[in-house]
Amino acid sequence: MTTQAISPLREAWMQFLRNKPAVFGLVLLSAIILTILYGRFIFSGDPYQIVWAPLSPPGERGYLFGTDFLGRDILTGILKGGAPTLAVGVSAAVLTVVIGIVMGALAGYFGGWMDDLLMRITEFFQVLPALLFAMVLVTLFSPSLYTISFAIGIVSWPPTARLTRAEFLRIRELEYVTAARSIGAGNARIIFKVILPNALPPLIVSAALTVGVAILFEAGLSFLGLGDPNTVSWGLMIGQNRNFLLEAWWPVAIPGLAIFVTVFAVSLVGDGLNDAFNPKLRSR
Amino acid sequence: MSPLLSLSDLRVEFDTRHGRVTALAGISLDVMPGETLGIVGESGCGKSITALAMMGLIPNPPGHVTGGTISFEGDDITGAGAKRMRQLRGSDIAMIFQEPMTSLNPVFTVGDQIAEAILLHQNISRAEADKQVIDLLATVGIPEPETRARAYPHQLSGGMRQRVMIAMAISCRPKLLIADEPTTALDVTVQAQIFDLMRDIQAKFGVAIVLITHDMGAIAEMTDRVAVMYAGRIIEQGTSDQILDNPLHPYTRGLIGCIPVLGRAAASTDRLPPLAEIPGVVPPLHLLGDGCAFADRCALADDHCRAVRPPLADKGHPVACHKAGGTP
Repeated sequence: MTTQAISPLREAWMQFLRNKPAVFGLVLLSAIILTILYGRFIFSGDPYQIVWAPLSPPGERGYLFGTDFLGRDILTGILKGGAPTLAVGVSAAVLTVVIGIVMGALAGYFGGWMDDLLMRITEFFQVLPALLFAMVLVTLFSPSLYTISFAIGIVSWPPTARLTRAEFLRIRELEYVTAARSIGAGNARIIFKVILPNALPPLIVSAALTVGVAILFEAGLSFLGLGDPNTVSWGLMIGQNRNFLLEAWWPVAIPGLAIFVTVFAVSLVGDGLNDAFNPKLRSR
Repeated sequence: MSPLLSLSDLRVEFDTRHGRVTALAGISLDVMPGETLGIVGESGCGKSITALAMMGLIPNPPGHVTGGTISFEGDDITGAGAKRMRQLRGSDIAMIFQEPMTSLNPVFTVGDQIAEAILLHQNISRAEADKQVIDLLATVGIPEPETRARAYPHQLSGGMRQRVMIAMAISCRPKLLIADEPTTALDVTVQAQIFDLMRDIQAKFGVAIVLITHDMGAIAEMTDRVAVMYAGRIIEQGTSDQILDNPLHPYTRGLIGCIPVLGRAAASTDRLPPLAEIPGVVPPLHLLGDGCAFADRCALADDHCRAVRPPLADKGHPVACHKAGGTP
């Protein structure tokens, strides 16, 4: 027996560090975030400003990634568009997780009519075509970063709710829940302080993967012309330049590559978290 | 002396796919302050349900308390609100469980969990609670309590975890401690240590203990009085001496006969006597008929036993058997 206490979280972190692809993903993601946060101070240009001839190829006149169909610098666009892209991804994932946990926890913990009601609502959202429903919501409330995040969150929470419910159904039957009740803990305390911490590992993984999905979703909406026209995002750049794909590939391919690399890094981290929290894969 | 906890004709029913079945068919039981009451019986006889009923923890749905009363210190708590029950649990009635492996929350240190139990009922600061935690761990015989308080449950052995559970249970000085097979999951030497600890705790704090077990050895060692349960009813009740020395119900005799004989008694015969067993199993609750529930497994049973359920009647001590007191 070790006398030094190792918390389950710390143990998972050590397991994560042993996973090379996951560490690579984390380093990549950190690099992306740092570039987005500080890159715009180095290239302090305006992404909307027309700087040179439209659709000029990468490298011409010092514009590293070339220009788009209006002659705007793509590098500036990538650096300035990263923050909104990630912000939408993260806030949509947070919204997804919050709605999903609340619905799933209440349904799984209380069971009975509460479970029936909340699960029917969940199914109602689950059977709606996600992209179409998100488009309706965005059009209804006029496109902005907030409405886009909101729309993505609203259409993506059902799987998180089902996952949370399943975990709550499993954990609420365990003896330590009865034990907690036997020392006088009430429902709220049992839900948030006893069951939720034990249900978190799969939820953390699903949240990480949701960030990637939400970024792609935002790109999809922007591609369809439903992005926030006042804020540059990677998806919006692809959407605006797609008509000129046959003349110039770079205004579409470069933001596409940025999205690909970011989602790839997020997925690696998500998979790494999954392995770190999965006791069966833990090397003892 | 008035009883600390009193169950009177308590009925508990469960909704199952066989319809509504009776898990407790009218249990009456008194627990006196400071005594140790044993409840014995096989798996499925209703002893754990009795324990949960005492705590007001019958899972609902599918369980329902459909009759009778539970009173604590003369106060009827059968239909008490959630708030009253929460206040009672932990501070007046506490419980320790069968599986110390699974009855502690794996993601918090044991010190955190005991402190949590203290803070639920006492209006003190976290620092004071932490100090009490160390004292409690020392009281239940955990070496290096300062270090162990920072350990997670998986870092402790089974016996150590059960000690932690006991520390948590006595943290608010309850008047009644319900122990649901507290040593079943532990090995024999640790069982003895846990029983010693429970006796120490009782002597120190004067807490009444309800010991639920299927182990007649534990009954002999620990209890003042015993209730024997079968298929949701109490079928025999008396002092430990009455039950162990003069069991009246064939089922109780069977349970006592199931204790393996070792040591000198066994050595006096050429070979070990075959281990006794009670034939058959507890009948499923939805298949109980009108007669004595034990009749199908009883060597003495006749048509009268199968047709009429014997009431709990005083034949030296209370027993529910037509044949009791007659020739065995």
